[in-house]
Amino acid sequence: MGQSRTLQVAAGLGAILAWIIIWAWLTRPGGPVPTLYFPAPDDVWAKFVRMWQRPYIGSTLPNHILASLYIVLTGWGLAALVGIPLGIAMAWWKKLKWIVFPTFQLIRPVPPLAWIPLTILWLGIGDSARISVVFIAALVPWLMNSMLAVYSVDRLLLDAAKTLGANDRQILARVVCRTALPTLVAAARMALGNAWSTLVAAEILAATAGLGYVAVNASQLLDTDVLLVAMFMIGILGICMTGLIGLTQNWLAPWSVLGARRD
Amino acid sequence: MGVLTDRGKATAYGIFSLSVLLTLWICATSLFQWIEPRVLPSPAQVIRQFAWIITEPFSGLRLPGHILFSLERWGWGVLTAGLVGIPVGVFFAWNPWFKTFLNPVFELIHFIPPFAYIPLAVLWFGASTATQAMVVFVAAFPAIVINSQLGVAQVEKIYVDAARVFGASPFRTLCRVVLPAAAPSIYTGLRIAISNGWMALVGAELVVGKVGLGFMIAQGQENASVATIFVGVITIGCLGVLIDTLVQRSERYVLPWRRVAG
Repeated sequence: MGQSRTLQVAAGLGAILAWIIIWAWLTRPGGPVPTLYFPAPDDVWAKFVRMWQRPYIGSTLPNHILASLYIVLTGWGLAALVGIPLGIAMAWWKKLKWIVFPTFQLIRPVPPLAWIPLTILWLGIGDSARISVVFIAALVPWLMNSMLAVYSVDRLLLDAAKTLGANDRQILARVVCRTALPTLVAAARMALGNAWSTLVAAEILAATAGLGYVAVNASQLLDTDVLLVAMFMIGILGICMTGLIGLTQNWLAPWSVLGARRD
Repeated sequence: MGVLTDRGKATAYGIFSLSVLLTLWICATSLFQWIEPRVLPSPAQVIRQFAWIITEPFSGLRLPGHILFSLERWGWGVLTAGLVGIPVGVFFAWNPWFKTFLNPVFELIHFIPPFAYIPLAVLWFGASTATQAMVVFVAAFPAIVINSQLGVAQVEKIYVDAARVFGASPFRTLCRVVLPAAAPSIYTGLRIAISNGWMALVGAELVVGKVGLGFMIAQGQENASVATIFVGVITIGCLGVLIDTLVQRSERYVLPWRRVAG
């Protein structure tokens, strides 16, 4: 088992290396792919190092990253503050669900991005427009999964708590919210994924800093190497953020991780 | 209220809450004008704008024209994603080495959000159908590959062994045993891909292009016409629901052997 895992990792690294070599070969001076369309790997790396120190369209790369993270985390966090309580309450009190759900169903099929022009008209091109679009994108997974989390609570646990004399509030706080935790971690992940990809589009459309803004400017200025740096950073940050949430599951809901690893 | 079932009550509550919302909208706009029409148009204005865009050309095309252009770009993107994604997914499950080699490229497409490809697509293809189709492709491709791979990996080994015992060639086993067994999962992948692609299309059209529903919303923003944006948003939402329903319904005809309770 251990050995085959090492082999897998080695093969994976080998494949990455192979692709970098193919990439370098294709984009070599006089090669088949003009660097205007796809720059060479060493150019991208050089640009990455340079952008780390010198500002590109207003800010250095770390500052662009921080600008993006600020928007995405704010929108995602606000969506959690609304989505989790509302989702749990909707699953718990049927009437609330009957009242709120139809409106929600009406809004849900609209891609979050389609709200961008509206938020720009209403809120201008400042941070609040982007935060609200990210909020809309993250709200759906937060709310749906919070509802699902409550529905998936074992009926037996509820009955047991009731038999032992717990009242509604105690059951909600001590049984439902805790057993729902693993599903909520999954919700956090999905919401962040949605939020991140929506943010990129929002930054392409209206921003003064951020990775999407860098990408769209680089494309207009034909700085393909900068564009690739921005795209890689977007991908890597996305992976890091979802990875971090996966790690929090270990200490938020260790029992679910144990269960998952049993086989 | 013992007369109504839960379902009936839910409908009643839903109708009630939606009508409250609509009344509020009408009150805020046409009746009392709490909100300026520039910020929030009245329902009547939105309907008028709808009628206007259907009958009069908007930026050169009537509404059906914009819809057709959007559908065309989306169709090309999803079609290519399916044509490339299904074989790739099947071979990912069939041959681990193939997967190891192609995985880095797949992960790039998977983990970089489709919208991040918009600037690159613009740079490569300019403002053509290919630009939007590429963004749709990037959005649709991973779901197809992952689900095709999953479908093939989940085929019971005994089916494959049985086919081999009866002397079927690997190709024949693939076509007659593995693919039909994996088809429901592949279909699920297509369904996800189709709706992801639709979402991505809107983003791509917002950024680049001179026709399409996304362009229409962007133009509404440009002209500060919230009614136009509403028309676009409603059309996009309705078409999204319509497409998803059609795909869901068609499953019964495309995959009649799948007898999962649904």
